[in-house]
Amino acid sequence: MANLSAGAIEALANGSGWNEAVLQLVNIRKIDGGSGPSRFRVMMSDGLHTLSSFMLSTQLNYMAEENILVPNCVCVLKRQVTNMLKDGRRVVIILEIEVIKPAEEVAGKIGDPTPYSDGQSKGQPPAPVPESRPPLQQQNRNDVTRNLKRDFIKKAPSALPDTPGGSSKVVPIASLNPYQSKWTIRARVTNKSSIRTWSNSRGDGKLFSMEIVDESGEIRVTGFNQEVDKFFSLIEVGKVYYISKGSLKIANKQYTSVKNDYEMTLNGESTIIPCEDNCDVPMVQCDFVSIGDLENRDKDAIVDVIGVCKSVDEVTRLTTKSNREVSKRTLSLMDMSGKLVTVTLWGEEAEKFEGSGQPIVAIKGAKLSDFGGRSLSASFNSTMMINPDIPEAYKLRGWFDKEGHAMEGQSLTEVRGGSGRLMENWKTLADVKSEHLGHGDKADYYSCIATIVFLRKENCLYQACPSQDCNKKVVDQQNGMFRCEKCDKEFPNFKYRLILSANIADYADNQWVTCFQESAEAILGQNAAYLGQLKDSNESAFDEIFQQANFNTFIFRNRVKLETYNDESRIKATVMDVKPVDHREYSKRLIVNIRKMGAK
Amino acid sequence: MAGILDVPKPRINCSMLSQFINRAVCFVGRVEKVHPTGKMFTVMDGEGNTATVELNEPLEEELSGIVEVIGMVSNKGEIMASTYNMLREDKGVPFDLELYNEALKVIHDFPQHYPFQVAASG
Repeated sequence: MANLSAGAIEALANGSGWNEAVLQLVNIRKIDGGSGPSRFRVMMSDGLHTLSSFMLSTQLNYMAEENILVPNCVCVLKRQVTNMLKDGRRVVIILEIEVIKPAEEVAGKIGDPTPYSDGQSKGQPPAPVPESRPPLQQQNRNDVTRNLKRDFIKKAPSALPDTPGGSSKVVPIASLNPYQSKWTIRARVTNKSSIRTWSNSRGDGKLFSMEIVDESGEIRVTGFNQEVDKFFSLIEVGKVYYISKGSLKIANKQYTSVKNDYEMTLNGESTIIPCEDNCDVPMVQCDFVSIGDLENRDKDAIVDVIGVCKSVDEVTRLTTKSNREVSKRTLSLMDMSGKLVTVTLWGEEAEKFEGSGQPIVAIKGAKLSDFGGRSLSASFNSTMMINPDIPEAYKLRGWFDKEGHAMEGQSLTEVRGGSGRLMENWKTLADVKSEHLGHGDKADYYSCIATIVFLRKENCLYQACPSQDCNKKVVDQQNGMFRCEKCDKEFPNFKYRLILSANIADYADNQWVTCFQESAEAILGQNAAYLGQLKDSNESAFDEIFQQANFNTFIFRNRVKLETYNDESRIKATVMDVKPVDHREYSKRLIVNIRKMGAK
Repeated sequence: MAGILDVPKPRINCSMLSQFINRAVCFVGRVEKVHPTGKMFTVMDGEGNTATVELNEPLEEELSGIVEVIGMVSNKGEIMASTYNMLREDKGVPFDLELYNEALKVIHDFPQHYPFQVAASG
């Protein structure tokens, strides 16, 4: 028993605490917590006494499940918190524990400890004077007194500040559970939602939520109705607050990435008080997932990612099903795995985002989607940080500046047509054929650099319905009217639209492609209306435009799909987007590829 | 000077000058300092090294930005220019000298794939 911290049990049981108590684990028992996660109750011994009211914090459940904590092993209690239950009993929550001697190296129970009776301390001040100890411990009196005194000296400069009200001690977030009500935490707000309202058959109301963090962990906090009025305007993201007396319940993991089995609801008794002395409270806790690992995560998982913003699209606006207009912006993040992923930002985040200079972007709580391979969406529960002041960001910046910038990166997200600058999956026209792109169930998309070698000017224009969003070919009624079958209407006019067949070539092969309106206009350098006018009025000028367009080189974004007409299957290639060649980007890519081949 | 136009002129940077003494080369760099006589100027390559260019005739125009110089490398490693050409950057596309240098290294690292010498002399 020489190496156990004799007296620690009593100190822990009466709430005076003990730093780094060395204890022997006597027994460990699983308590099924109904709908919640199971908890482990532990009996510990200091050689003098045993105490069975230790609880393992749920984060440490694995230590019991993996049989790290087994009877007879000797442990050092690194961090714990003592909670007082309503009936005055104390429970010691183990927050951090380390096994220093496994059970097989310990010859059974050390010493002859007797159960510590904590009933005696009921109604007494948390730090009882040694004389008031129950007579049961009489035989160890001297020993215990000495140890307690030592502990009092140690405890004096406590790291935990008192709460402003002085009513209860500040406890770590990790120790919060539904079975105690009197506590105060000191935590930093890392994310705060806007006020959301609901209205259904049971009435209407409003709510807001926030995420708070301290050095032990994080938790999500929600406030409803009165609590919204009371606290919403007080809370500022980034500030530290004392929060006490919320209700705790099992967290709904579906909506949050916050790593806590519980979440908090503010109630009428809750108080939130700003805290000025906050330098030691951590900023945001992130558990970053490598972009390369996203492929192995489940759809709808909530993850934290950090990456270099390789490219950004412009903001687009779209209308949701509920007829609300929202802004949307996509960007592409790359990390040291060399993989890229597309992230979609919404609303204000999308509008405000400034992606120039390839900043480091960290997103806490992004939702993983399997839309187009793998992509991420930053929802209202996500927190986005640009160039955050965290070690991961500096590491990533160093890597990117040194080698990452030269990497092409492989995107997890399949690029959809017309989605702007996210141009990946470069192929030569020979690759497209040898890799049988388009032969699968889904269409394939690729980018290539190719030169126009032939344009078929016959039938490149058709007469289309003049209605705004209808491009259906009209039937000439031969009476000055044009009929659109789709709109079921006749019009006195039509608009010209382009459907241009082009043969494009690179060094390896060539390919017939179909270009519709915008891409055909880009290739010809003229708009469809003007071309239609020329065709009818000045055929030589019309021909000239096609001559001029030959042998120009572009970046093509193509869609290929095997299509079958009358039992004949052929690959149909459609141009989704045409852009001028950025020679600098192109040269960079070629050099990277040459070096890659050279290294083989 | 007609001779130099008929022989291959490998593209090089400063670090390669010593390997090309008494040979015709093509050098692209950014103009640094022009000598007051107008018969000499210095150019910096994509690696930040500087070379000296000597001209037969004094300059008749103001020289700045990116130049492509064709000339012979002297024993001292200076480029005796036969002709030069300023690359205009005013079209909005800046010349990326570092990228050019990377491409140049590729040419020299894989001569089997860039047989300019053979083609030009043949």
